Amino acid sequence: MMCECGKCGSGYVITKNKQSGIYLCRDCFIDSIEKKVIKNIKKENLLEKGDNVLVALSGGKDSVTLLEILNSFRERNIIDICAVSVDEGIANYRQSGINIAINHAKRLGIEHKVVCLKDEYGVSLDEIMGNNNHRGSCTYCGVFRRDIINKTAREMGATKIATGHNLDDETQSIIMNYLEGNIDNLTKLGAKTQSPADKFTVKIKPLREITEHDIGLYVIAKQLEVHFDSCPYAQQSFRMEVSQLINNLENKHPTIKYSILRGYDKVKNAIGDSLNKKFHSHTNCIKCGEPTANKLCRKCTFLKELGVD
Amino acid sequence: MNFILKFKDIDEQREIPHENYTIDELLKDLNLSSQNIVSKLNGELVIEESEIHNNDEVQLIQIIYGG
Ligand code: SF4
Ligand SMILES: [Zn+2]
Ligand SMILES: [Zn+2]
Repeated sequence: MMCECGKCGSGYVITKNKQSGIYLCRDCFIDSIEKKVIKNIKKENLLEKGDNVLVALSGGKDSVTLLEILNSFRERNIIDICAVSVDEGIANYRQSGINIAINHAKRLGIEHKVVCLKDEYGVSLDEIMGNNNHRGSCTYCGVFRRDIINKTAREMGATKIATGHNLDDETQSIIMNYLEGNIDNLTKLGAKTQSPADKFTVKIKPLREITEHDIGLYVIAKQLEVHFDSCPYAQQSFRMEVSQLINNLENKHPTIKYSILRGYDKVKNAIGDSLNKKFHSHTNCIKCGEPTANKLCRKCTFLKELGVD
Repeated sequence: MNFILKFKDIDEQREIPHENYTIDELLKDLNLSSQNIVSKLNGELVIEESEIHNNDEVQLIQIIYGG
């Protein structure tokens, strides 16, 4: 069987587009991903000239791809980039990603900070998980990581925070929130999100329309150094069940992830405004001063529970 | 007729079960989802429709993990 690249005619193809059935060679595939991300950035107005973008850089495939593509805007002097990596303190796992993040930042000459949970809050994730009484690793990770990234954005003078969320992440979040009836969280998704609290920097997701598989193929095709591994604390979760459900649907309905996304974007526009006013009133945490809906923010609540505040 | 399979810690010789055996069929035999895997044949990235021939080396790279 002979397959040809649908763009340049090369006989050496590396992928077949599930929606269009078109085969692509290495160079045309790389090009198609970069163009798609750039198109999405323009369509959603994710970047403005003069932005200083903080990239949340874990050293995994998503954040490395994000940095690589955003750097093309930096090379053309449209934006400036800085990066932050959060070291949760997970033995035999996180350090290798952090080292890769450091290498990429050095290679591109980008200002980069590594922030450890232990230094920031006096406790590492491994120590938290050593207690019998905990809320599950990912709950702490999510809350602490967000806090560190928000604070670092202010420290580094960032005007945007860019994260590596891909099409799979985003469609999973949409379906999970639908299934759980969590309409408040549902309206907080999207390509660009701005919290009503001025203290929080605008967040953007430039890879939101790229499948996770294509990002994996992109880093391998481009021979970018990334950390492929699973976290020792990752367990069967509701997100994984939803991921399997969507992937099974995708086998028969190749455009399903895009239609989930498109449908969501329409719903968000329709209901976003009315919900925004109702839900998103906030004050500042009495302990740390970060914006929160309650007296104590979630981070400070957790630290209190853990006895390290 | 054999090929070499490299996947995670696996590095083994396997028999080619029938003619025109493809990487796609190999993934099914191993119970792996192509959504989580990128495949190389003799060191080059290939599509899953590619056939495996005698003495080929197939490397499967898992690109999606939980967490
Ligand atoms: S899987 Fe591991 S790294 Fe990811 S959020 Fe959960 S504990 Fe943190
Ligand atoms: Zn081509
Ligand atoms: Zn607080």
